Amino acid sequence: MSTFSLQIITPDKVFFDGEVQRVIVRTTEGDTGILAKHEKYVAALPAGPVKVTMADGTVRIAALSGGAVRVAPDHTAILANAAEWAEDIDVEWAKRSEADALRKKEQSKTQKELELAELKLRRALNRLRVSSMK
Amino acid sequence: MAGANMKAIKRRIKSVESTMQITKAMELVSSSKLRHAKERAEKAVPFFNLLYQTMSEIASDAVGFRSAYITLRETGAALLIVIAGDRGLAGGFNLNVFRRADARAKELTAEGREVVVMTVGRKAQEHYAKSGYRILGSFDNVGESINPHTALRMSEHIVHLFDEGHLALVELFFTNLVSPLVQEAREMTVIPVPNLEHNTGLQSLTNYEPSPEAVFDSLIPQYLAGILYCTIVDTYASEQAARRMAMENATDNAQEMIDDLSLKYNRARQASITQELTEIVAGANAQG
Repeated sequence: MSTFSLQIITPDKVFFDGEVQRVIVRTTEGDTGILAKHEKYVAALPAGPVKVTMADGTVRIAALSGGAVRVAPDHTAILANAAEWAEDIDVEWAKRSEADALRKKEQSKTQKELELAELKLRRALNRLRVSSMK
Repeated sequence: MAGANMKAIKRRIKSVESTMQITKAMELVSSSKLRHAKERAEKAVPFFNLLYQTMSEIASDAVGFRSAYITLRETGAALLIVIAGDRGLAGGFNLNVFRRADARAKELTAEGREVVVMTVGRKAQEHYAKSGYRILGSFDNVGESINPHTALRMSEHIVHLFDEGHLALVELFFTNLVSPLVQEAREMTVIPVPNLEHNTGLQSLTNYEPSPEAVFDSLIPQYLAGILYCTIVDTYASEQAARRMAMENATDNAQEMIDDLSLKYNRARQASITQELTEIVAGANAQG
C-alpha cells in the first residue's frame, strides 16, 4: 500500500514525523480517513482520537486535544495543542482531571466557566477513552 | 594613619569579592537557563509557522471570506498583553518593553479607545498596578514553566472576552531574542489577524469541513495560544540573556574595582613601609 508523509505537531514539539499508510481523525463533522493522494483538505478537530497505520502496517492510536488537520498534495499535518500515544496516557491523572472538571462544572456560576469546564471534561474523557483503545 | 587606611581598603576588597562571587554565580545560572529556553523557543517554531500558513491559506482561498477576527471593530477596548520578567537585575530588559507598551497605550487613549492590560510576569504586574489602566488578568512566574495548556487557558479567556464584544483589538508586547547579545522589545497585533492574503477571486480546490470560516474561527484560540506560548518562551529566553549580560558586566566591573583597590592597597602598604624606613633612618641618624 502506498504511503504518505504525516506530521503531528504540538507547540512544544514535533510529536510524530514519518511515512504512514492511513490516518483516521475525528473532525467536528465525524471520522475522516486519509490515504495517500487524498484531495486538498482542511478540517477542524475537537478533542478526539487519531488512528495511524504506519508504513509497516502497525496501528497506533493517540489522543489529540483539539486542533486542525491539513492535507496538502505533498504533506499532511495535524496541528494539535497536545498529543499523547494511548500507551503513554496517565490514566490516574486523566481520572483526576475528569473529577476536577466535573467539580468545576458543578460550581460554575457563569456561562463561560461552564464552557471551560466542559472543554476540560471533554479532553479528560477523550484521554480516558483513547487509553482504553490501545 | 596608613595602617587604618590599609585596613579599610582590605575590607572593601573583601566586600567587592563577595559581590563578585554572587554576580558570577548568577551569570552562570542565567547562561544555563538561557540554553534551555532557547531550545524550547526553537521547538515552538514549526507548529506556529504551519498554523499561520494554514490560516493564511484559508483566508486567501475562500471567496468572500469573512471573520470577526480579521476586521477592526469600531467599539470595544484595546487589550495590551505585556510580557516581562519576574525578576529584575537584568539591565534595561523590563523597562524597554514597558516603554513601548506605555507609548502605545497613550496613543490608543488619545484615539479614544479604552485600554485594558493583561500582564505576564511579576515585574509587569507591579508596573501596571500603578498605571491606572484596568488590569484584565495577571500571570506570574509562568516564563520558566509555561506549557501549551497554560497558554491555551489564557487564550480561551481572551477569545471569550473578544467574542462577547468587550474587545476590539489585541496587541502583544514582548522581547525577542535576536541573539544572546541582542534582545529587542517588540510589539505585534494579534487580533485583527494581520497580514493575511486576500482572495484572488479563484474558486478554492481545497475542501473545508465544515466551512472555511468555521475552520478559521476554530483555529483562533490555538493561534492565540501559539503566539502566547512562543512569545512568553522568547521573552523568558531574552530575560535570561539580558541578565547574563548584566551580570557579566557586573562581574567585570567588580574585577576592575578589585584591581584598582589592590593597586591602592599596595601603594598604601609601600607608603607605610617607606615611612617606617624613613623614621628608622632618621632615628638612627639622630642617635649617631
